Amino acid sequence: MFFNVKDVSQFQSQKDFIDTVIIPLVSVNLNDTMIKQSSSATEYLMSLTAFIEQQFKGRLMLMPPFTYLEQLKETISLISIKEEFQVAGFKHVMFITCDHSWTSFNHDVDVIWLPSIPLESMDKSVKMTILEDQLKQVIPVLSSKWSQS
Amino acid sequence: MSNNRVSRRQFLNYTLTGVGGFMAAGMLMPMVRFAIDPALQVKAEGDFIQTSQKVADITEEPIKVDFTFEQVDAWYKSDVTEAAWVYKSGDTIVALSPVCKHLGCTVNWAGSPDHPDQFFCACHAGRYEKTGKNIPGTPPLGALDEYEVSEKDGFLMLGKKVPNTTV
Repeated sequence: MFFNVKDVSQFQSQKDFIDTVIIPLVSVNLNDTMIKQSSSATEYLMSLTAFIEQQFKGRLMLMPPFTYLEQLKETISLISIKEEFQVAGFKHVMFITCDHSWTSFNHDVDVIWLPSIPLESMDKSVKMTILEDQLKQVIPVLSSKWSQS
Repeated sequence: MSNNRVSRRQFLNYTLTGVGGFMAAGMLMPMVRFAIDPALQVKAEGDFIQTSQKVADITEEPIKVDFTFEQVDAWYKSDVTEAAWVYKSGDTIVALSPVCKHLGCTVNWAGSPDHPDQFFCACHAGRYEKTGKNIPGTPPLGALDEYEVSEKDGFLMLGKKVPNTTV
């Protein structure tokens, strides 16, 4: 499910089945030396999350990315975001990011960190293979979450 | 020259017939066009999409065939990749859509070790038989859709998605 009207109304009627939310955390770095790397990581994360959504459409909702600048990162509280989503009816709240600093923040919040892969230099079929491989990294995390409940 | 003179009356007759003819043609042409319009419409070439799958390589075991087409959404063009599960049943080729009829996840052939000869949806453990028929007691309420199948130069072509015809 995407965060659009059609999918959200389906979520409201099927809360028993759609119990997981995926929130991409995207760091925007406008520094001259970092801006390319930042955009590449964003492109990668957006492609991957859309692919995850396609595979597990009926069980998870993909949120629009939560985007932040490096100096504003301290103001983001993953715990309160998580609580807010749980109140809304999502049993599992997963964050997914290419920003390594979130991995040190692992208490009580599920953060999937993936090193970004520069997809922009690849042709389409290689891109698909890479994304499929990356998806295989994410599936065990999801299924272990789902089998807990 | 002088015995072939066109009289004023004749001249007016000729011009009026000519102009009247053009006017009538201008009115009738669009009417005729509208009437036979469906016959004039260009059939979109995109009815069938070529895949890179050789027909000769298709076996009884379902394999995943990816195919890409261009989708235009208002002014936004994008390449959409979809997949189909393709296998041979007797002499006919069956191409099933991998989209689960429950809530739209992607199903996998032999996705569950407990059911090696069924399609499995990892989201809510929905299962389908090889024909695409949903297994009662699992969440899906209908059979998997199938694609129209055709062949060109030995390669598989996939057409429109239609409701399952075998079950």
